[in-house]
Amino acid sequence: MPFDASLDGHRIDRLVHVSLVFMIVLLAVMIGWMVYACLRHGRRHAATCDDGNSHRAKILPLGIAGFVLFIVDGNLLMNSTHDMEQIFWNFPRAEAHPEAVRIEVNAHQWAWDARYPGADGKFNTADDIVVLNDLRVPVNVPILFELSSVDVIHSFYLPSFRTKIDVVPGQLSKLWVQAQKTGEYEIGCAQHCGVNHYKMRGLLTVLPHEEFRDWAQEASAQSARAYDLADRTAHWGWDWK
Amino acid sequence: MTSTPGSFLAKYIFSTDHKVIAKQFLWVGFAFLLLGGTLAMLMRWQWAYPGARVPLVGDLLFSHSGGSISPATYTALFTMHGLIMVFWAITPILIGAFGNFCIPLLIGARDMVFPKLNLFSFWTFALSGVLVVAAFFAQLGPAAAGWTTYPPLSTNIGTPGWGQTLMVAALFVTGASTIMGAVNYITTIIVLRAPGMTYLRMPLTVWGLWLTSILNALFVPVLASAGLLLLLDRLLGTRFFIAGALGAPGAGDPVMFQHLFWIFGHPEVYILILPAWGIVGDLLSFFARKPAYWYRGTVLAMVLVTLLSGLVYGHHMYIAGISPLLGLGFEALTLSISVPAVILFANWLSTLWRGSIRFTVPMLFALGTVFVFGFGGVTGLLLGTISTDVVLHDTLYVVGHFHFTMAAATFLASLAAIYFWFPKMFGRTLDTRLGVIHFIGSLVLITLVFGGMLIAGYSGQQRRLFDPFQYTFLRHLAPLNRFTSYFAFALGATQLVFVVNLVRSLAFGQRAEANPWEVSTLEWTCAPSPPPHHNYETIPTVVRGPHEFSDPRVKVALGRDWLSQTEEFPAQAASGEFRPS
Ligand SMILES: [Cu+2]
Ligand SMILES: [Cu+2]
Repeated sequence: MPFDASLDGHRIDRLVHVSLVFMIVLLAVMIGWMVYACLRHGRRHAATCDDGNSHRAKILPLGIAGFVLFIVDGNLLMNSTHDMEQIFWNFPRAEAHPEAVRIEVNAHQWAWDARYPGADGKFNTADDIVVLNDLRVPVNVPILFELSSVDVIHSFYLPSFRTKIDVVPGQLSKLWVQAQKTGEYEIGCAQHCGVNHYKMRGLLTVLPHEEFRDWAQEASAQSARAYDLADRTAHWGWDWK
Repeated sequence: MTSTPGSFLAKYIFSTDHKVIAKQFLWVGFAFLLLGGTLAMLMRWQWAYPGARVPLVGDLLFSHSGGSISPATYTALFTMHGLIMVFWAITPILIGAFGNFCIPLLIGARDMVFPKLNLFSFWTFALSGVLVVAAFFAQLGPAAAGWTTYPPLSTNIGTPGWGQTLMVAALFVTGASTIMGAVNYITTIIVLRAPGMTYLRMPLTVWGLWLTSILNALFVPVLASAGLLLLLDRLLGTRFFIAGALGAPGAGDPVMFQHLFWIFGHPEVYILILPAWGIVGDLLSFFARKPAYWYRGTVLAMVLVTLLSGLVYGHHMYIAGISPLLGLGFEALTLSISVPAVILFANWLSTLWRGSIRFTVPMLFALGTVFVFGFGGVTGLLLGTISTDVVLHDTLYVVGHFHFTMAAATFLASLAAIYFWFPKMFGRTLDTRLGVIHFIGSLVLITLVFGGMLIAGYSGQQRRLFDPFQYTFLRHLAPLNRFTSYFAFALGATQLVFVVNLVRSLAFGQRAEANPWEVSTLEWTCAPSPPPHHNYETIPTVVRGPHEFSDPRVKVALGRDWLSQTEEFPAQAASGEFRPS
C-alpha cells in the first residue's frame, strides 16, 4: 500500500491486514486439504464409498461455513461499519471543527478545478482561491471536499489517505480527510474518463499551518485580481451544502 | 423421430441438432477467445513498455501512431477485451456450447425442446458477432468506454463514433440470443428429463446450467433495456443517462445506468461460474471415483447463490454515492455469500478425500478451477467490505480478483469440459501429454499473471491507465508490471499447445470408445461417441443418481467401480443391506 499520510488510514490498513490473515488461513486450509488428498488418495488408494449424506458428514461444511460467517465476515462487517460511521462518513464531526478547510472540486476531462472560499467563507465570491490540479491544505485539521463533474464520471482518489469517491455529473459527492504528515501527495483519477484518463493527476500538498495561511492569503489576493464578474463559466462554485 | 437431414447446409450450417449448434458456439467462442486474448497481450505490452513500438504487429496495426499504441487505441483495447471475453468468448463456450451439448444428452433427451429457437439463438448470436467485428472497422475506432460502458462517457459526450454504438447494439442483440437460449434450456430441463431423471438425480453440470439459464432469463433483459436506453441517448438525443453541465436542463441520471448494469452485472458473475461449478462438482466425483459429497448440499448451495446473486449488486457501487444504509445492506448480503461458497468448497474437497483419484487431464483442469476460484473467492473479502473496498476500488486488485473468478475459473472449467467431452463430441481423443503440459503452463502462469495484478492493485495502481507511471507513487511498480506481462505472454504462448492438440486430435486422434472415463451419466453409458442425430435409440430410464462409484458390492458383482444411471443394482448383491440412493 502507498505511504499513509492520514490520521485514520491506519484503520483501513489494520482491517486489510486482519483480512489478509484470514485469507491466508482459508487458502492454506484449502490448498493443504487438496494437496494432501491428491498425494495420499491417488489411484492406488482404494476409494471409500462415502456420499456425505449422513448428519455427521454435514457438520464439516456447515462448521466451516459458520466459522467464516461469524468470525471472518462478522469481524469485517463490524469493523468496517464502525470505521465508516464513526470516521469516514462522519461529516458532522469534521464540519464542527472550527478550523476545518472546505474545498469545492469541479472535475472535467482531464483536470481537477478546485475552489476555496477565501476569507469571507463564501464560495463564488471575488476572494475565492481558485487552483488547477494543485491543492494545498494545512496539516492536522479536517479537510472537507464537495465534488462534482461537468462532463463524465471521474473518481477522486487519494491513495495516501486511503480513500476515494466517484465524482458524478449532476451529483454532489462528499469526502473528508485529515493529514497527519506534511508533504506532497498525489491525487489520481480512478474512474476511466476518456483518452487522457491516465493524465488526470493532481497534487495535494500538506503544509504546516503558518505556511498554509501565507499561501492562502497570497492566492486569494491573486485570484481577486484576476476576478472577472462577466466571465460566468469561471464562477462554477456552489453554496456549500 | 425424423431421419437425419440430407444437405450439407441443413446438416452443418442451419442445423437444429443441439450437438451441431453446440459446436458452432464452440468454434465461434474459440475465435473470439483468441481475439480477446490477443487484445490482452497488446495491453500487457503497453504496461510493460508504455508507448514503445509493438513488436511484430505494431507497424501493421498501429501504423497511424508510428507502430506504438496510442492512448485512444489503448482505451479501445481494454474495452473490447472485456466485452469480447465476457459476452463473446466465455458465454458462448460455457453456456452456448456446453449448455447445448450437455443438457439434452445428460438428461436423456433427443434434443432441445425448441430446436428451431435454438437455431435462431445461434444465428442471432452470430449476427451480434458480426457487429463486434464491424466495430473494429468503425471510424474513430471501436468502443472505448470500458466494458462497464458507464455513461456519460459511453454517450456521444465521451465516445462519439459508430464503434461504441455498434458495440451497444451488439450487446442488445447477443442479449436477445442469450434470452432465447435461456428459455430453451429452462424448458428443456423441466419437460424433457428422461423417465426416472428426477431433479435430484441430475448431474451437477445440468443444475449449474439450469440455474444459469434462470439468471439469464431474469437479468439479461435488464442489461438489454439499459443498452436500449443508452442507444436512444446516442442516436435520438434523449437524456436518460446524461447529466451535469452538458446535460442540463431536464438532466438524466448516470448512476441509474450503473444500477441497471450491476443488477445484471453481479448475477453475470454467477451466470458464468455456475456451469463451471457444476462441471467441477461432477468431474471431481467422476475422477475421485467417489459419490459427490453431500450432493443435496451442493445443489442447495448453488440455489442459494442464485437467489443471493440478485441482492448484492450494490457492492460495485460503494463509492458511487449510494446512501450509506444501502451500502451496509449490500455489504452484509455480499459477505453472506461466503456461506454457500464454503459449503461448495468443503463438499468438493471432501469428495476428493479418501478417493482413488485419477489424474486425467479434465480432472487436472477441474482441480485447477477449484484452486483459482479459491484465490478469487478469498480476495473478494476485501472488496465486499466497504471500508477496504473504498481503497481498492477501481484498482488492479479488483481486476486481479475478478480475473481469478470470472476469467481463470471459467477458462479452466471450459478446458476441463472440452478435455472431458471432446471424445463424445468428436468421437476422437485429445492427446494426454500435450494436455498435461497445457494444464501446468496455464495454471502456473494464470496464478502469476492475476497474482501480479492483485499485488499491483494492492500497491495502489488504478486500472485502465495508459501509462501508470505518470504517477510517481506507482513508478516503483514498473518492474512488477513488466514481469506480469512476461508471464502473460508465456500464458498466451501456452495456449498454442492446446491449439495444436485440438487440430491434431480432430484429424488424427485415437477413436473414442463409448465410455472411456468409466462414469455413470447417460451420454457415456447409453450413447456411442459421437451420439447419432437425436442421441438415443430408445429414451433411457434412469434409476439412480449421476455419481455411482466404488460401492464394494458392485465391485464384487460386476468387477468394476461404477454403475450406469440406468443400471439396476446387480441382483446378487441386492440381497445385502444395500440402500439405493
Ligand atoms: Cu477522470
Ligand atoms: Cu458483484
